[in-house]
Amino acid sequence: MKMIKLCKYIYIFLLLTYSLTYGQTVVNSAHNLSVSGPGSISASSETEICIFCHTPHNSSPRTPLWNRDDPGVTYTLYSSSTIQAEPGQPDGASILCLSCHDGTIALGSVLSRTEAIDFSAGISMMPAGRSNLSTDLSDDHPISFIYNSGLAASDGELKDPASISGPIHLENERLQCTACHDPHKNDYQPFLRVTNQYSDLCLECHQKDGWENASHKLSAATWNGSGTNPWSHTSFSTVNENGCENCHRPHSANGNQRLTNYLFEQDNCLDCHNGAVAEKNILADLGKVWKHNLWATDQVHEPGESLPVQNKHVECIDCHNPHKATDQTATAPYASGKISGVPGIDSDGNPVNTIQYEYELCYKCHADSPDKPESGISRDIMQSNTRLEYDLSNPSFHPVEGPGTNSDVPSLISPYTKSSVIYCSDCHASNNSDADGPHGSANYPLLKYNYETTDYTTVTYQAYELCFQCHDYNLIVTNESTSHAERVHKKHIDDARTPCSVCHDAHGINSDQGNSTNNSHLINFDTNVVRPSMGASARLEFVDNGNFTGACYLYCHNRNHNPRSY
Amino acid sequence: MKILMRLLSFVVTIFFSQALIAQSMVGSAHDFSDDSWNTSGQICLVCHTPHNADVSVSNAPLWNHETTSASFTTYSSATMDATTGQPDASSKLCLSCHDGTVAVDNFGNQTGGSHYLTGGTDIGTALSDDHPISFTYDAALAAIDDGLYDPLTTNSGLGSTISSDLLIGNQVQCASCHDVHNGSGISKLLKISNNASALCLTCHKK
Repeated sequence: MKMIKLCKYIYIFLLLTYSLTYGQTVVNSAHNLSVSGPGSISASSETEICIFCHTPHNSSPRTPLWNRDDPGVTYTLYSSSTIQAEPGQPDGASILCLSCHDGTIALGSVLSRTEAIDFSAGISMMPAGRSNLSTDLSDDHPISFIYNSGLAASDGELKDPASISGPIHLENERLQCTACHDPHKNDYQPFLRVTNQYSDLCLECHQKDGWENASHKLSAATWNGSGTNPWSHTSFSTVNENGCENCHRPHSANGNQRLTNYLFEQDNCLDCHNGAVAEKNILADLGKVWKHNLWATDQVHEPGESLPVQNKHVECIDCHNPHKATDQTATAPYASGKISGVPGIDSDGNPVNTIQYEYELCYKCHADSPDKPESGISRDIMQSNTRLEYDLSNPSFHPVEGPGTNSDVPSLISPYTKSSVIYCSDCHASNNSDADGPHGSANYPLLKYNYETTDYTTVTYQAYELCFQCHDYNLIVTNESTSHAERVHKKHIDDARTPCSVCHDAHGINSDQGNSTNNSHLINFDTNVVRPSMGASARLEFVDNGNFTGACYLYCHNRNHNPRSY
Repeated sequence: MKILMRLLSFVVTIFFSQALIAQSMVGSAHDFSDDSWNTSGQICLVCHTPHNADVSVSNAPLWNHETTSASFTTYSSATMDATTGQPDASSKLCLSCHDGTVAVDNFGNQTGGSHYLTGGTDIGTALSDDHPISFTYDAALAAIDDGLYDPLTTNSGLGSTISSDLLIGNQVQCASCHDVHNGSGISKLLKISNNASALCLTCHKK
């Protein structure tokens, strides 16, 4: 009997205490600015909590029972070249938040008191730091704009607001601070309605194409502690947990347009792609002598820029789409996952929204663009437009767009055959690197292996290592089994110490400039070394007379060929 | 054991009881006995009379003051789930002085009074900047709103539930927060002290 009475009393006590205990509420959050508040900003003696924002009578005309003045300032709004929404001056709930968070009104200044409420530690306005957004909102997520089905349709990568889940909260069809933040509840710092782990909050509205399979969404890579902490602005410690915040931040972004962590494009990538997070050290490759120089320009690149590129520049983002890139491999000529989702130029010279083939990416700049890099070798036929060099109707070309014209190439090393197709990046890539791709190399011009082009080079495997990746050294250099082998290759390369590049053009010869009689086998002479022949019918010309037979009209190494045949 | 139980229930009672010491009308802000416009010198007469009371407002307790006939702008907001109407019942009585349209000395069938409330006590007829009143606050509202406690099961801190202690016929009225007779002695005639915003947080689950 006594036990039951005891239980009854304890039960009542607990019941009564329960009504006064709080879970995550405003009372135990940083928005409790009263003297009892847990945050670093608190009043010196004021005990009321709600008063800093609300008052039951004679409130501001602004709901809900607002107890603060309007900031009355004009804000710099977010804008970008890619936004579809139209943010206006902050209104609705956002102007309420900004009455503290823009740093223009004292935190203790409320309508219901004649004197501003006093704060401890000498605080008056919002102190500088992450909570003070200032009146320049150009580096913050846009607010105070209409977010409706029309916007979702015109943007193409936003969820229809009708399908956005419960916690996210539009106010009269407008997106305000309160879409993402609940000022009373700090379940997910800072006052987020949904956690942003795995970018769950961002993904409530943003639907980037390809993100579901993207490496940046899925990778569990961590930071090894060296260099700059890529995640100093979040509380997460893996790539997948950080998600969008690997590159973006919603407030006080240094890269205003599109809210990137850094202003300079490449900085957004290189805190991780230096071996400190991502396995491969791309930064090291980009430090080599011959490189795609990301630092030569900044803020020249424009998303959706017209193609072919007209203003010479290169950034990571020209070749990589961080929302879509995966580690899926591919075989030539198909683009691998690393460069998927990027625009390019196809073999006909037409822009494509998403490349299918790797060469389409390179053609964006190295084909029909003005101001592109020229070859360092002057040749009989000059052509710097790679698209024209690799055209499948050309007399000869390395098989980049498709298999080559030559049905008999005995020097090819297995698995390469006459039907093989290769990537630009099979030759143009970083030397001594575990990372694929043409980031930077010690070998001119951004070649994966050594490729001597200076006349009178003594032949070694290493001298023309690039060529010997696919073409057998012995079959080219030492073989004497045919007239061609003995009198053309061995004689010139070994005895005469002539590099491959003196006779052969590594890319291809366009059919408008050359023909299959004179420019088969990539023949396009280096005119710094090779001169026209002398005497009757003097000219500079190669004549293809059939399988392993031909004639050369030229003057080289003090020897007149007028012609010399094999 | 017995002593422990007594001690426990004593502590519980003291801890949760807001009305520690009974206060009285006398000397309160509603004690008009000394005011120049109150020639009767009485306290209660300004609002009440034992005979021939005004019954035009339903449930008005022996009402003796001119009732307001003003039309009010009610509170509304994008985030409010409750539905308000024109102030009624006891709130209408409070507004009969506090809307600034009726002279405070118009009581006991006197008309032509000249004293009106001004300043902070004059709520006015625009209630759009005041806490909503004259609306139903029940379990259904608490369920939709998600920022309100269930009034039927949540303690008010005054001994029983929000519904029993603070609501008048399940409606929020002026008298939900204010005790017109100064029963608790808390400033602004509040029923529960708003120290640490305890009054607000009785109903608002923030």
